[in-house]
Amino acid sequence: MSGTTAEPAARFEVPPRPRTWPRRALIVSALAAFTVATCLPAIGGVEIDLGAIARNWRHGAANLSALLQPNWAFFPRTVQPMLETLQMAFVGAAIAAALSVPLTLWAARPTNPNILTRSAVRAVVNVFRAVPDLVWATILVAMVGVGALPGLLALVLFNVGIVVKLVSEAIDSAEHPYLEAARAGGATQHQINRTLALPQNLPLFLNQWLYALELNVRISAILGIVGAGGIGRLLDERFGFFAYGDVSVIILEILVVVLVIEAASNILRRRLA
Amino acid sequence: MSSTVEARTRTTATRPGVALPPRPSRRGQTAATAVVGVVLLVATATLDVEWADLRDLPAAVRDYGTLMFADPDWSRLPRALFEMWRSISMAWLGAMLCVVVSIPLGMLAAHGVGPAWLRLALRGLFAVIRAVPEVIIALVLLTVTGLTPFTGALALGIAGIGTQGKWTYETIETLRDGAADAVRAAGGGRTAVIRWALWPAALPTLLSFALYRFEINIRMSAVLGLVGAGGIGSMLANYTNYRAWDTVGMLLIVVVATTMAVDAVSGALRRRIMEGT
Repeated sequence: MSGTTAEPAARFEVPPRPRTWPRRALIVSALAAFTVATCLPAIGGVEIDLGAIARNWRHGAANLSALLQPNWAFFPRTVQPMLETLQMAFVGAAIAAALSVPLTLWAARPTNPNILTRSAVRAVVNVFRAVPDLVWATILVAMVGVGALPGLLALVLFNVGIVVKLVSEAIDSAEHPYLEAARAGGATQHQINRTLALPQNLPLFLNQWLYALELNVRISAILGIVGAGGIGRLLDERFGFFAYGDVSVIILEILVVVLVIEAASNILRRRLA
Repeated sequence: MSSTVEARTRTTATRPGVALPPRPSRRGQTAATAVVGVVLLVATATLDVEWADLRDLPAAVRDYGTLMFADPDWSRLPRALFEMWRSISMAWLGAMLCVVVSIPLGMLAAHGVGPAWLRLALRGLFAVIRAVPEVIIALVLLTVTGLTPFTGALALGIAGIGTQGKWTYETIETLRDGAADAVRAAGGGRTAVIRWALWPAALPTLLSFALYRFEINIRMSAVLGLVGAGGIGSMLANYTNYRAWDTVGMLLIVVVATTMAVDAVSGALRRRIMEGT
């Protein structure tokens, strides 16, 4: 009895473990080498100065405790800049929303079969997206002067990049039997886009527009640091005077506004879905 | 087959007066659109912007575009590459710090892992960190560590915890329960569930998110440079202040090329990780 079961068991051995360790060791050592290279100040890496934390943590603690004592008397002065920030965020998102519709339809394959115009739009959008938001703002401030206009333009450029990329990729990866049906029925590309692609993808657009609005509130709060209007300028100014009580009020205000916008857009998103 | 067709024709034939259902009311939607439109109009009208300045914009773009890109100043390229590496280092170390902190915290914040009070506390913490802009965290930190790239890396590390923690617990929560149940049935405790069920299943997604954090940080490190943390952002801010447009053009080319290259490499790695090869 026992002999009959032992025999087949001897034949079916557990397969040998795949040898993954050389590969794993290679990956880990590559990551370690990259990390070490990022810590070498001689070639531009970051000098990790834990000693500075040990020496100066009292500074930070003092500042943090100062930040935890908001000077509420300052609140009335923050209302106007905060409103400007929200206006910039909202108007910027709206302009970007309007611009993003044709650009997205140009950048997606099912809505624009022409490879030349499609790649051109994609390339431009990708380049624009690679420039960080505040870098745009810095350059635009130098070009059109200090104020809300460069901030607004930076937000629009930034939003268009995000919305066009995310929505056009979503359109690309979805199946589109209805578009093919319309094409088989002899519709022109413009008719297809207008009557089918746009209504079908409107929820995607709405979702990303809301996301852009959320991002804008966060970004426009700091645009003022480079002179592009909004509450960031006040924040920078108060910080320069070491008026941490005032800074605290501004940060708390930004925090509340961002959380409210995020909650509101979550509710909206659930209703849209 | 034919009987169903017959049945269908019979019902329509015998009941010709079947009315169409009423159109669904779109009053709410119309009202919402109207409110958004009015708010938008008011916001645009009261925004303190000289819209007339927009007329000069095309000319300004052309002028500055020529100044920046007609003849970029490549003599400062070595310096730019040095500073770019500093920004990349900031981004990388920030991403490592962020991931190392947010994976355990995010796991504890997932449903079915940590206790409810801890879950709520951690989620609140993540939400608060998400709401504070990175620049503000950097401004607070620089009183401790000074105007150094180290401050930038720390700020990126802390600022990312909010989003990264959220992604971590969302990843854990979307895992199937099977493996965790199996470990529990075999007598495993909380640590055993995390080590043998959740960790191996979530690892590819978490690694992919870690690389994504690096991509985000590449952009953010340039922004932190603008407020003085060093790296390519600081160089860009300086030369913009000097109005040295040919150098600014070169720096922009470096930033765009590096960002796109990092995105491409990291994106390819992420795809490989997620496909499990």
